[in-house]
Amino acid sequence: MIRKELVAASAEPLILSLLAKGESYGYAIIQEVKARSDGRLQWTDGMLYPVLHRMESRGLIKSRWGESETGRKRKYYSLKKDGKTAMARHHEQWSLVHSVLAGLQKEQYV
Amino acid sequence: MFDLEKSIAGWRKQMLAAGINTPVPLEELENHLRDEIEQQLKSGTNAPLAFEAAVQEIGKANMLKTEFEKVDETKVARTLKQYRAVMVACLGVESLFWTTCLLLKIGRFSEITAVQQMSGLAAVAVMILLAGIGLSGHGPVSLSRRVRDLICISRGRLLALLGVWFFFYVAEPAGFLFILPKFDGGPLWLMLPPAGILFGFIGGLGKATSRETAMAAP
Repeated sequence: MIRKELVAASAEPLILSLLAKGESYGYAIIQEVKARSDGRLQWTDGMLYPVLHRMESRGLIKSRWGESETGRKRKYYSLKKDGKTAMARHHEQWSLVHSVLAGLQKEQYV
Repeated sequence: MFDLEKSIAGWRKQMLAAGINTPVPLEELENHLRDEIEQQLKSGTNAPLAFEAAVQEIGKANMLKTEFEKVDETKVARTLKQYRAVMVACLGVESLFWTTCLLLKIGRFSEITAVQQMSGLAAVAVMILLAGIGLSGHGPVSLSRRVRDLICISRGRLLALLGVWFFFYVAEPAGFLFILPKFDGGPLWLMLPPAGILFGFIGGLGKATSRETAMAAP
């Protein structure tokens, strides 16, 4: 299981990256994260919404009410310009952390 | 006999009782709950179990409420930041106005002496300094949050006291200030105490509201 702190830190870049593919809604975001991490990235579903709202109030994403296939109201989120910038920054930082870790791991096996 | 709609209504009541009473988050959460129940039912789980599992997945109401409150704090902090930006702009324009009037001896300042001119310019400079300290939001970071907030909010009052002290014990005895109504450069000094309080208060509020808005794990 991935540590809570890491889950929290990775939430924003993951949401931004998922929304970069196109608009989506809370439930679908969670399902995609679960699928992509083989269920190892465990989010408490309800906690996603405060994160989404906070990102919206920071101007990273925007939302609109739409309708689901079953006719139910659904809130869709999409990326804003500031969100794209934030995503690029996240990718840069996470790539750096990843490359440092990978380099260190490689050295251990040499 | 299990009634899904009744159970969802009961869950909604629990959320409302816990304080999640703004319509948008509650509707979003309910939609999520229904999506999860649908998914569980499709995979063959019976309705009561599907409902229980979906409720557990959503999380506890009090935890959600705390997180939504942080969103509100972020909004307040953003609004205060905008106010601060407006105040900085206003102060910039005002300072530019007074400095130009004093330097070029425009209008009521046409007959001021060199000492009066210096006094007026010094008042503008001190006001900019007070505003800079007050609006910067900088403060000690190693203290507890409550102490830090108290310091931030009371900082304006300390600055005001400093202004009053400077007014009565330094500037006035030194003859830099002048008695009304010939008080051309002098009134600028009188603006320091209220300005100190205002800038310090807004700076402190900004610091207080921007605390602990770090993202929690979803």
